[in-house]
Amino acid sequence: MNDIQSPPTIPESLIRARDDFPILKREINGKPLVYLDNAASTQKPQSVIDAVTRYYSNENANIHRGVHLLSQEATAAYEAARGKLARYLNASDDSEIIFTRGATESVNLIAHSFVEPLLKRGDEILITHMEHHANIVPWQLLCERTGAVLKVAPIFDNGDLDIEAYLSMIGPKTKLAAAVHVSNAIGTVNPIETIIQAAKAKGVPTLIDVAQSIQHIELDVQALDCDFLIFSGQKIFSPTGIGGLYGRRSLLDGMRPYQGGGDMIAHVSFDGTTYKEPPSRFEAGTPHIAGGIGLGIAIDYIQSIGRNVIHDYESQLIEYAANRLKNAPGVQLVGDPTHRSGAISFTMDNAHPHDIGTILDTEGIAIRSGHHCCEPLMTRYGISSTARVSIALYNTHEDIDALISSLDKVNALFG
Amino acid sequence: MNPDLKSLYRDTLLKHSREPRNRNPLPDATATAKLKNPLCGDLVSVHLKSENDRITQISFEAQCCSICMASASMLTEKIIGTPRQEAQIFATSLIDMISDPETEMSLPNNDLNALSGVKEFPSRTRCATLPWEALLAALTGRMKSEG
Repeated sequence: MNDIQSPPTIPESLIRARDDFPILKREINGKPLVYLDNAASTQKPQSVIDAVTRYYSNENANIHRGVHLLSQEATAAYEAARGKLARYLNASDDSEIIFTRGATESVNLIAHSFVEPLLKRGDEILITHMEHHANIVPWQLLCERTGAVLKVAPIFDNGDLDIEAYLSMIGPKTKLAAAVHVSNAIGTVNPIETIIQAAKAKGVPTLIDVAQSIQHIELDVQALDCDFLIFSGQKIFSPTGIGGLYGRRSLLDGMRPYQGGGDMIAHVSFDGTTYKEPPSRFEAGTPHIAGGIGLGIAIDYIQSIGRNVIHDYESQLIEYAANRLKNAPGVQLVGDPTHRSGAISFTMDNAHPHDIGTILDTEGIAIRSGHHCCEPLMTRYGISSTARVSIALYNTHEDIDALISSLDKVNALFG
Repeated sequence: MNPDLKSLYRDTLLKHSREPRNRNPLPDATATAKLKNPLCGDLVSVHLKSENDRITQISFEAQCCSICMASASMLTEKIIGTPRQEAQIFATSLIDMISDPETEMSLPNNDLNALSGVKEFPSRTRCATLPWEALLAALTGRMKSEG
């Protein structure tokens, strides 16, 4: 066990990880890139970039509808990616993985196809105070349409969910219990096992937003016994514009389509149209084929290193970063959760997060400043924005040290 | 190329951001407009009082970055005592000047030239223009949809 102030040792299988990501060789403003905005989007390994190039150079064709070889190859590669995701999440069947444009579309799909038909006026959807707008706004829109009510479980000042309050809010009117696994803004890891078990005991379906945990924490949907998980590919080393959801097959079977169009139908006539089985029922139109293939290769990349190795290393690195930041002059952490993964938010005495972000950028350090699509959470802390540092497997303690040194420049200008 | 921090954070700008002028509510304002930059969550409200088509009092309230703060502070100093129509024309042209990277800002004897540093930082342009957009909204009664 490392002392909290000593940097973590990079494990053998991660020592050369930086070389796998060509963008990390880039210089920004004459300085080596220090990329600490992974919660917004991770960088892409060469293998993913090559897979996308290979698809467009060698396999490009539409899927699920051609008898020619290119279409067969493209279909096989795309469906193989679905299988990789299913195994990655330990789904019991490939058909439980639905491709979407990302986590946002996944929530909207579940809201339309699963939750809306269950709702009567006065029914409730339960979320937490630390959700991303993607797990708030679709429910607000749904409540406007149906007269249902959005209930929000409170959090403590340290950024932990008030789990007792959350559980007590699961009642007879609750039609969905939703929660983020890891907060994109402040890094809190929520006790999703407890949430899922309690909801299940009351017969309430669950939705877990794993957009920020899928690249950091091992997820087993069968062990969790959850009904839906939603995620984005771009936060797990794949191209943007692709993501998906896991849905329990018995629920997917009873769900209405999301969008209508090609590829989701069994038979179309003007007298009535019938729909395919899951997953096709929920995947109208030509999907982001290259993105799906890239996502599959990204999963291969993670598996080649090992999720436990990544998790152990990142846990030490984020703790190191949190401790360095806590001791940095003029810095206050926003939230100091009991269990943290991936991200740290902070503010400074005299500098606004936007100014911090600009000054760090001139040093080649990319962080995020803003509300992180979590305005209600910012309001909870009485602020409009934070500076956020978020890590991935290729980050090192040198990245964190460079960040801390550069904060001196912020203090020099604004202190 | 390394964008020049000193050009962005000029002394004049830092002075206004540390000690902003006229940052207070205006209880007898005749018009007020609150604008938000949805990108970062920054909020600026501009309050003004007009008499005989002239802006006789002006103030702002803000939760924002240094550039936005300085811009709002300088705005109040520039605009007080100005006829409404003139203020509207000036705000419009200043927003254009700040937003266009090709246009050089050379207002005679004016602190506002300190805002030209944002031209090297395109992601910060809106920080400088937001108070002026709020002024226009207060003058015209038209709020942008994101406001």
